[in-house]
Amino acid sequence: MGSIPTYSRQMHGAGILNDTGPFCVNKLIQEDDFVLKDRYKLPLVGVLVGVVALALTHLGNPANMGFCIACFLRDMAGSLGLHRAAVVQYMRPEVIGIVLGAFVISVLKKDFSVKGGSAPFSRFLLGFSVMIGALIFLGCPLRMLLRIGGGDLNAVVGLAGFVSGIGVGVVFLNKGFSLKRNYSLTKTEGYLFPAVNAGFLLLLVVVPSVLIFSESGPGSMRAPIWAALAAGLIVGVVGQRVRLCFVSGIRDSILFREFGMLTLFIALTATVAVGNILSNKFVLSFANQPVAHTESVWNFLGLFLVGLGSVLLGGCPYRQLVLAGSGNSDSAVTVLGLLVGAAFAHNFGLASSGAGTTPAGRIAFVICLIITLTIGLTNLNKSSASA
Amino acid sequence: MRYIATFHTHYGALKFQNDCRKAGFPAKTMPVPRKLSSSCGICVEFESSVLWLPEDREDLEAYYLVGEDGGYLPCQIEDGHA
Repeated sequence: MGSIPTYSRQMHGAGILNDTGPFCVNKLIQEDDFVLKDRYKLPLVGVLVGVVALALTHLGNPANMGFCIACFLRDMAGSLGLHRAAVVQYMRPEVIGIVLGAFVISVLKKDFSVKGGSAPFSRFLLGFSVMIGALIFLGCPLRMLLRIGGGDLNAVVGLAGFVSGIGVGVVFLNKGFSLKRNYSLTKTEGYLFPAVNAGFLLLLVVVPSVLIFSESGPGSMRAPIWAALAAGLIVGVVGQRVRLCFVSGIRDSILFREFGMLTLFIALTATVAVGNILSNKFVLSFANQPVAHTESVWNFLGLFLVGLGSVLLGGCPYRQLVLAGSGNSDSAVTVLGLLVGAAFAHNFGLASSGAGTTPAGRIAFVICLIITLTIGLTNLNKSSASA
Repeated sequence: MRYIATFHTHYGALKFQNDCRKAGFPAKTMPVPRKLSSSCGICVEFESSVLWLPEDREDLEAYYLVGEDGGYLPCQIEDGHA
């Protein structure tokens, strides 16, 4: 390959650098530890996540809710007393597992990178808005796939909204949208979010009496703590390694015709569908689906907002958890936005239920869409980036 | 030779692509190869016989020479921008 000379000369302004320049050479990065190529690896990860989700449902989680980042953060907000909806309060070990799994694997693989400072409050509000959209639909993008795998046709409508929202987000990106760059921060900043999650786990195991637990409803339906934690760890580890993101998979297939991540989504959904069919839980319908409603317009719009907001954030709620566990403090702030959004959703009756959306929820949707569009439109760069 | 540049922001990548093309280097944006990492997930691959930097590189995160065997040689930029 030849070599590039090492230089220390300061470089300013544009320039062509041939025999002089501000470069020094580091170790060559070769094929990483994965033996399998992406072509095989991504669908296998989809199957794995699908099996883990099925197992969690089998072990006690609500139907079609092996995982749901939105619902689980909502449960955690309730468990901490941030909202008073008695049926959705539990400290979900799955979320803690995802964060700690991403943390451990990113440290082991030297992928732990402490960064932050890119428009934190904009990200907080975008996270808040994404949660409102998700709780109007009743699920994050991951649960959307699990619902489709259970035969819930409302989630197919949601998928259409989700893809549309991502499409609009891509237009913002191509028009030069940017929340500006992040910066390297101290290691401590990166350790704090995983540490807080470890603290929540400690509370759950050692002094659960300080937390609030639902006695009925979805919050009372839960897999055993250690199974849920293990499930979260598995999904956190593999998701960190393959950069699983339900938004960027679709975004990149629109932007670059890069369809690899879609094979993961299809494998995940198919695995869940097969599992549900084998256990006689697959019901193809709009009506009477678990933790779902049939208002198609709002199923579409809810996930539209999730798709749009997540593109502006650079990742779906699941990805935000993984990034926050890998040292990204902007993502940690986004997760706080999701958490507070969930608390608002249940303190002010914004979240939907099996009976459908609420008037307050529809108003909140409009407000959150305006917030998201305002952040989008006011962060466009004048010199359009499109070629 | 082929290079890959990664960025802190999506916008930075698109702008860099345009700057490359204006300077006469074939360039395209694409997802960051899985063995590399970046903040925004999008990189620019460009062809050039020389190492080249545009004037505005605030959003530039890292620079790699793409080897014929598929390896990536990281180039650390020492002007405080990346």
